[in-house]
Amino acid sequence: MEFPIERRKRFDGIDVEILGETYEPGKPQPEEEGNWKRKLQTIEEIEKYLSYAERYWYSTEWYGSEKRKTPA
Amino acid sequence: MSQSNYSADPAVVEMLERAKKDGVMTAFDRAEAMRPCPIGRDGICCKLCAMGPCRLVARKGEEPPRGVCGATQDTVVARNYLRIVAAGCAAHADHGRAAARLLLAVANGETRDYQIKDEMKLVKLAMDFGVEISGRNIEDIARDVAKIALEEYGKQEGELLFIKRAPLRRQQLWRELGVVPRGIDREITEALHRTHMGTDQDYENLLLHAVRVALADGWGGSMLATEIQDVLFGTPYPTVSQVNLGVLKPDHVNIIVHGHEPLLSEMVVLASREQRLVELARSKGAKGINIAGICCTANEVLMRHGIPLAGNFLQQEVALLTGVVDAMVVDVQCVMQSLPEIAECYHGRIITTSPKAKISGATHIEFNEHNALESARKLIEIAIEEFAKRGGNGYVPNYAVDFVAGFSHETITYLLGGLFRASYRPLNDNIINGRIRGVAGVVGCNNPRVTQDSAIVTLVKELIKNDVLVLETGCAAMACAKAGLMNPDEALRYAGDGLGEVCEAVGIPPVLHMGSCVDNSRILIAATAMVKEGGLGDDISDLPAAGAAPEWMSEKAIAIGMYFVASGVFTVFGVHYPTLGNETVSNWLFSDMEKLFKAKWAFEPDPEEMAKLMIKHIDERRKALGIDKARERILFDMAMRRQLEAV
Repeated sequence: MEFPIERRKRFDGIDVEILGETYEPGKPQPEEEGNWKRKLQTIEEIEKYLSYAERYWYSTEWYGSEKRKTPA
Repeated sequence: MSQSNYSADPAVVEMLERAKKDGVMTAFDRAEAMRPCPIGRDGICCKLCAMGPCRLVARKGEEPPRGVCGATQDTVVARNYLRIVAAGCAAHADHGRAAARLLLAVANGETRDYQIKDEMKLVKLAMDFGVEISGRNIEDIARDVAKIALEEYGKQEGELLFIKRAPLRRQQLWRELGVVPRGIDREITEALHRTHMGTDQDYENLLLHAVRVALADGWGGSMLATEIQDVLFGTPYPTVSQVNLGVLKPDHVNIIVHGHEPLLSEMVVLASREQRLVELARSKGAKGINIAGICCTANEVLMRHGIPLAGNFLQQEVALLTGVVDAMVVDVQCVMQSLPEIAECYHGRIITTSPKAKISGATHIEFNEHNALESARKLIEIAIEEFAKRGGNGYVPNYAVDFVAGFSHETITYLLGGLFRASYRPLNDNIINGRIRGVAGVVGCNNPRVTQDSAIVTLVKELIKNDVLVLETGCAAMACAKAGLMNPDEALRYAGDGLGEVCEAVGIPPVLHMGSCVDNSRILIAATAMVKEGGLGDDISDLPAAGAAPEWMSEKAIAIGMYFVASGVFTVFGVHYPTLGNETVSNWLFSDMEKLFKAKWAFEPDPEEMAKLMIKHIDERRKALGIDKARERILFDMAMRRQLEAV
């Protein structure tokens, strides 16, 4: 595969050559492609996901900054 | 004023030239011909009884006069303001009610056209409402959720259930101030009662009820609308689409969905893909059926299907000027009465669908949940008939911009951590380390009193340049999409280095489209999630965050602004403000409110000055949190660690 070469500045200001992008720009198609919720199939999986992804609302085991030694 | 001063959007400018040549008037021309009444604009006119109307205009150096009933200017301005908030809340609440009624019909098997598409959102609502989940089928859960949602409207006592989603400290504050809404309809009815002649005549008492009504919108009607629509149509996830008049296709049957409630437009999208209708369109010479949207109905079908946007509020008439719109299907809110006349001049049919919103000269096809898909098919057949009658003078300006939408709170959580570490932690960390300076919500309408899109786009460019992540909804979101600010590649050119780095790493644009105007409730939840995640204070008012509506025009916008301020967000409005004729009420909103709610309103029509106000507020909050300066990083050895107290 041929890589395009790009010139960029390194963090310390020195010019460097790096390998450029080779992916196609593309757009997500069809409609459902970005639907991440399809990965959760059952009610049990959903409940489990909510208990950590949205733990401050749907779990009793987690403590956000609101539930500290000195209550808000 | 020349056409180029009417709009920052070149597509609109081009089409307005066409209208001028054809002698057709639009909202831009009418705004120029109709100067705003200064007494009504400033809120100092009372027409609540037949002893008036009373114009409470003060002569220079004198006290303002009282109304015939003895009402002071303070009372009149506060009453007018409360009525504005109540009307805005009513619009959003009724939208939520329609969604809840549909959910109940689906659960009861009364309609087969709709289904429950998002079980996760249903489970969330069931948990919020205390509905039993385990061992029950989806329809039973949905029935209980829908019934409880509908009860939220008629409840007489207690608290709205979504109030418990707010940060704990905010809930406590609302309870102390006595502004927690009891029932959605109750608060709206009470607002109309209080403002009846000779009832509540204490401006502060009136304004505190305005807060209560507004909270019944943001944490009530709007939130129910968003959440239940997610259950029925799916919680949005990132989707690519296009925006501006160039999405109309001259060789297709073009149907525009316009308004706010997506119940019918969801069916229009489905029906437009049916083979029979596509074949019918082809038989009339069209290449296919093209659906596009205007206003918030458009945002709803965009977020869930990637349906392209023809434009925002001020483009509804402009889209018809193209002469290629075969049908414009409208539901409720923000629909101009002039549409049938313009369609008469150019082409196409205006079809009203709600019994609450008919327009003289339009075709009315009533929609209800029982005949949804059938109504949608009928509408499309009408559009196909209209296509066959279309003349050859259509013209579509060549402007269409790619962008990404679909950033619900749930999707942001997922994007920031994936399925196994979903969390707002990366956002909070990047705010704490200063890569992201703060977060801003920029929402609201267009208004022909200011150059269309100009104030919104100027403000947002200024914010992202200063590393402020922008969350958007409604017509403001469409303005930024047209300006390329929701295209990750394009928008990063405008973003500051820190914000750009984070957006590039996560793969999001610096301006996130979160949906329609009821979806401002998603911004409330995102702000709450930031608080609950920790490190940025205990309340929304502690966050380095601000809100704005630079081109607002509707009563709904004031209701939205009020619930944002009451929830702790410093909020700036442009154009004009409906209390400016009275110092006492304006001072309460622009200053005293901060003592009560730890947040206040501001009015600033200049978008650059507006950005400065918002950034100043964000910096003050950063300072209060102690994250305004980079801290020295110390590597702790074991001895130092042992000295740490367990938290």
